[in-house]
Amino acid sequence: MIRTYRALFVAQLQSASQYRVQSVLWMLLEVVRPVIFLAAWVAVANAQGGRVGTYDVRDFAAYYISLTFVLQIVFSWNAYDFEFEVRQGRLSPKLLRPLHPIHYAIVENVVWKLTTFIPLLICLVIVALTFDVRFRTTPAHLLLFVPSVALGAALSFLSGWVVATTAFWTTRVHAVSTLWDRGVFIFAGMIAPLALLPGFLQTLSLALPFGYMLGVPAEILRGGVDIQTALVLMGGQAIWVVIFYVAYQRVWRAGVRQYSAVGA
Amino acid sequence: MTEAVVDVRELRKTFRVTEREEGLAATLRSFVKRHRKDVNAVAGITFRIEPGEVVGFLGPNGAGKTTTLKMLSGLLHPSAGEARVLEFVPWRRESAYLKKMTLLMGNRSQLVWDIPAADSFRVLQEIYRVPDEQFRATLAELTDLLELQDLVHKPVRNLSLGERMKVEFAAGLIHSPSVAFLDEPTIGLDVSMQVRIRRFVAEYNRRTGATILLTSHYMDDVVALCKRVIVIHRGRLLYDGPLADLAERMAPYKVIVVTLHNGAAATTDLAGYGNVVAADEGRVTLRVDRHVAPERTARLVNDLGDRLADISVEDPAMEEVIDRVFTSEQTTVSA
Repeated sequence: MIRTYRALFVAQLQSASQYRVQSVLWMLLEVVRPVIFLAAWVAVANAQGGRVGTYDVRDFAAYYISLTFVLQIVFSWNAYDFEFEVRQGRLSPKLLRPLHPIHYAIVENVVWKLTTFIPLLICLVIVALTFDVRFRTTPAHLLLFVPSVALGAALSFLSGWVVATTAFWTTRVHAVSTLWDRGVFIFAGMIAPLALLPGFLQTLSLALPFGYMLGVPAEILRGGVDIQTALVLMGGQAIWVVIFYVAYQRVWRAGVRQYSAVGA
Repeated sequence: MTEAVVDVRELRKTFRVTEREEGLAATLRSFVKRHRKDVNAVAGITFRIEPGEVVGFLGPNGAGKTTTLKMLSGLLHPSAGEARVLEFVPWRRESAYLKKMTLLMGNRSQLVWDIPAADSFRVLQEIYRVPDEQFRATLAELTDLLELQDLVHKPVRNLSLGERMKVEFAAGLIHSPSVAFLDEPTIGLDVSMQVRIRRFVAEYNRRTGATILLTSHYMDDVVALCKRVIVIHRGRLLYDGPLADLAERMAPYKVIVVTLHNGAAATTDLAGYGNVVAADEGRVTLRVDRHVAPERTARLVNDLGDRLADISVEDPAMEEVIDRVFTSEQTTVSA
């Protein structure tokens, strides 16, 4: 399997190298949104004497830089690609090879992240300097961040696949994946840190999977929660990963039976 | 009886499709209530293919050919019936099965467009776990047979359609499958490329003994490659037997082409010898019943004497035979 991954990795890297500019533009688009929210919260905080809840301006900077960093590691485009592959029949050759199509998606994801990682870091350093960032991170937070971001990535990837797999039934998964993305947008900690959401929305965000993808690892990275809380939140991440792993296996099996190999 | 490589029994595939009439009212109604209809793409077909056979799978558009190939390759689950290919149930898609078969579709690409084919081959080598030595030998053989030397190092998107098809063939066969399903492998190619692909398929079958099931709209493909054909129409099997017998059974006539010397055509009426289907500048084409063809030919030679410049007796064109099969309401014929 390692040899297969290496070969896929090399091929994907070659493919990606043809679209360097496009990759960087996408990455910039990913950075722009959190930076806009950061700027908005900084304005709100300044208007209220420098704080909103427990966050001051430098905390907001740390949160949104962490969030952007986590977003880069965690986010996957697979739902969009998958719909396209099902509609165009491009999934068919992959289904007929002795390798589960999920492996191609994993490699595509990893390569995309690697090729945009350095420009992203440069952007984040600029943002950090501009907003005079302050992290409250301890070594223990850093230690917990690694498994937490891995769980967030697994959760995002698996849930993305479950959503994408609905393309087997609808062929047009775009509406479903857009709805899902709105869920991420509202509940994952993009609009505001989860701790600042009003009571009902905060409860809801902790009951839904979205916050466990982005908000939780971002808070752990900036040192915004104590270690005990971090461990509880990571427990929540693990539960959602298991739920989506089981869902993915079931939905995939049923979906492949349903697949009508449209156009191919 | 030898063990069949492909063994299909009463295979069926029904698709549920949504239908609506044209117009605004029907469109609005379809938001609330959809009319669904079951379409029998494959309506219970049974056949066997023995090891090493090259079988032509014929039928008009929508006959169920591609759907059958998709079921046999494992892409689609059937609605009913059974199929075994190399003793495997295809739609379980076990790795051991996938490593032994290939499905090549003339209008579909399985290569990565942005990278040279040579790199895609490497990926396929790892996916199919082809040992290095076998990979090199297979690739060398395919390169030789398909004349790929200059093509494999260019990005696939820079190749012409014909070049890409050759490379697709190599990609589909890099793991040396023992069963190949070829769906319209020469579609859209120019005549010379069609001939090359045909030669390649024949040579590949000869060298490797692979079993091949081929669909094509080009009868030349079928005539060049297949001794046996299976004809399906509206999901049902119409004919399964030797290609040579298909004409005899489905079009029980011969075509006699008479060429007359200058000036003779205007004064000669050949209607009494058979059904005149074409007459053009001294060249008359007659359709006669198969078993009276020798006698009519002899009479023509005798009666026309020195007015006759040339005469030939031919089987009807395969396209014509197939057209007769599809347009007539034939029942299943098995040779």
